[in-house]
Amino acid sequence: MVVRNYNEELKYLEKINPYCWRIKKGFQPNMNVEGVFYVNNTLEKLMLDELRNSCRPGMTGGFLPGVKQIANVAALPGIVGRSVGLPDVHSGYGFAIGNMAAFDMSNPKSIVSPGGVGFDINCGVRLLRTNLHEKDVQPIKEQLAQSLFDHIPVGVGSKGIIPMNARDMEEALEMGMDWSLREGYVWAEDKEHCEEYGRMLNADPSKVSLRAKKRGLPQLGTLGAGNHYAEIQVVDEIYDKYAASKMGLERTGQVVVMIHSGSRGFGHQVATDALVQMEKAMKRDQIEVNDRQLACARINSVEGQDYLKAMAAAANFAWVNRSSMTFLTRQAFAKQFKMAPDDLDMHVIYDVSHNIAKIEEHVVDGKVKTLLVHRKGSTRAFPPHHPLIPVDYQLTGQPVLIGGSMGTCSYVLTGTHQGMTETFGTTCHGAGRALSRAKSRRNLDYKDVLTKLENMGISIRVASPKLVMEEAPESYKNVTDVVNTCHAAGISKKTVKLRPIAVIKG
Amino acid sequence: MFKLKLTALGHPNPESFNCEDEKEYRSVVLWLEDQKIRHYKIEDREGLRNIDADSWKEAYDLYQKDLVSPVSDGSPNEQLNWLLSYAVRLEFADNVTKYKDAKIEQPKQAAPNVVSSNPLDNLNFSSPAFVNGVERVCALTGVGPHIDPKLRLAAVAKILKTSPHPDCPRTEVSVVQQPADVLKLLFIQDLRDLQTKINEALVAVQSVTADPRTDTSLGRVGR
Repeated sequence: MVVRNYNEELKYLEKINPYCWRIKKGFQPNMNVEGVFYVNNTLEKLMLDELRNSCRPGMTGGFLPGVKQIANVAALPGIVGRSVGLPDVHSGYGFAIGNMAAFDMSNPKSIVSPGGVGFDINCGVRLLRTNLHEKDVQPIKEQLAQSLFDHIPVGVGSKGIIPMNARDMEEALEMGMDWSLREGYVWAEDKEHCEEYGRMLNADPSKVSLRAKKRGLPQLGTLGAGNHYAEIQVVDEIYDKYAASKMGLERTGQVVVMIHSGSRGFGHQVATDALVQMEKAMKRDQIEVNDRQLACARINSVEGQDYLKAMAAAANFAWVNRSSMTFLTRQAFAKQFKMAPDDLDMHVIYDVSHNIAKIEEHVVDGKVKTLLVHRKGSTRAFPPHHPLIPVDYQLTGQPVLIGGSMGTCSYVLTGTHQGMTETFGTTCHGAGRALSRAKSRRNLDYKDVLTKLENMGISIRVASPKLVMEEAPESYKNVTDVVNTCHAAGISKKTVKLRPIAVIKG
Repeated sequence: MFKLKLTALGHPNPESFNCEDEKEYRSVVLWLEDQKIRHYKIEDREGLRNIDADSWKEAYDLYQKDLVSPVSDGSPNEQLNWLLSYAVRLEFADNVTKYKDAKIEQPKQAAPNVVSSNPLDNLNFSSPAFVNGVERVCALTGVGPHIDPKLRLAAVAKILKTSPHPDCPRTEVSVVQQPADVLKLLFIQDLRDLQTKINEALVAVQSVTADPRTDTSLGRVGR
């Protein structure tokens, strides 16, 4: 790889408008298309600092900066349009987290890459509404947080309270949310308000290793660790009254519950297994990539197809997982308020996926094309009238749920037509890490982090307090910056701002 | 059922006939033989005349065999339908000249009905309004001139099917947009109805399959 200094690198970057930068071909070798990333002034500084640091002599071998990763993805075979970095982009395994890339299904050389999906397959956010007001919840906030904590096991190595055997697991992997529906854990309306209706139809549990299934079985219905959480939030500000009312959010102070979780150890194992297979496939098919972490296989190869089927099973696992937690949340609320979840109007507003690859139709250069769209740390944001979004959101566009970092606010956005043409209907997914986990552990004290949350009036229950500083707001970019950039760039539209009052975490 | 054929044959009460009722069924069969088909001599109709007797069924089966009915193994409805059709055929054959005129009248009535039900079939392809309309749509989609407006319309249809819809020029926005919006809203309404029906079906199935259980002894909080 060529070594250039920072100023030379900058020649390949061009600011095309106040919220968007272009990465020209040549920034990394063999780029098939250009790259692009969305930032405002604050985020731009973070992004360029990261690049500058990596240009310092002696900095080779560490994390690749996000911009470089976006450009490396642009060099993958079969990519179309542009390799897109969303405002919350930060370095990840192979692909940056907050990167989306689409590959032409009709091109036999096109690839699928587990790095472009991520290890926590179908990590995502689900939002439940209630008809409660903040003043109903404030007096019993502590009890409610405790009750949630008791119902939903959290943390590394946690085990769920929904009894399942190996056969249930196979069925759940194949059926996704239809399994939860059949067993009565969720409502019919929940399925309606979920991306893909909560089920990837191409899932094939036989393509999943026994090891993955063993890891996954006891973990169903658990939240996990890392950045996953369940939060009780209140509506803080409504920007788009019409869209909010379509989601059943009528007034500020209304209480909602946000669940952020994924496919736990199951998805991680599926990804790990696939990476091993793909390294072999790359050698056989002579696929050249810029970074070893970008292991991939042709979509039509056995390895590619096996991965897509196993990934779909992992996606189904994640939906069943979030559905189980929806059930447990409803139980916890029902017990505290001595009312049926129905009477509390605890409907799912929407359920989005952050880490997933899906086959979609998009318009590329004026022609309709079938693409394999990788979204890693980014959210699908389809515009109004798109056939794949629920009928209730046909006029508003798809709801996009943006979970903030712990103790900061979260947002609900909607998809736009501009986003459909510019970013293949994709927008940001959250705050996005600014400090690495190790760095946050060194720089922050967990007691300070907990005290700060307490002072903000947020009840918190954590399984492992000593890891809490990894998730402190200081370790993340400012979610408001991220969301405002997406709004200003027009790739999604702000609808509602939410503020947390209680958190449970791993 | 069978109202049309019974009326055509001049049955006294075609409105109230209920083919599920065994007794009514049998009396219609007898009426057909007595009045219309007259396949047996009067004295041979005894078996069919015993409407209340158990042996009627046998007589009926034999009767059908004698008539060489192709549906004698079919359901009672099919059997009666064939008998009625057969009777109509005989009736027609008896008075060919009388019915021939009526025949011409009927299609004449039916034809305008079909056309009026679908306004698109009524289009006059050479009318100036149609030609102008095609002209405007062609201008929007960039289809070149041709003498035959139908051919140009076919070209437009092809473009709309194969490529994404072209943006319309500003001046034409409301002309195209308004009807499109109305169609979209109607579509959403239909879709909502469909989704509601789907949900109802799911709930119905759930009432059979659902059995959500939890077992708190399995739970474990992690590190």
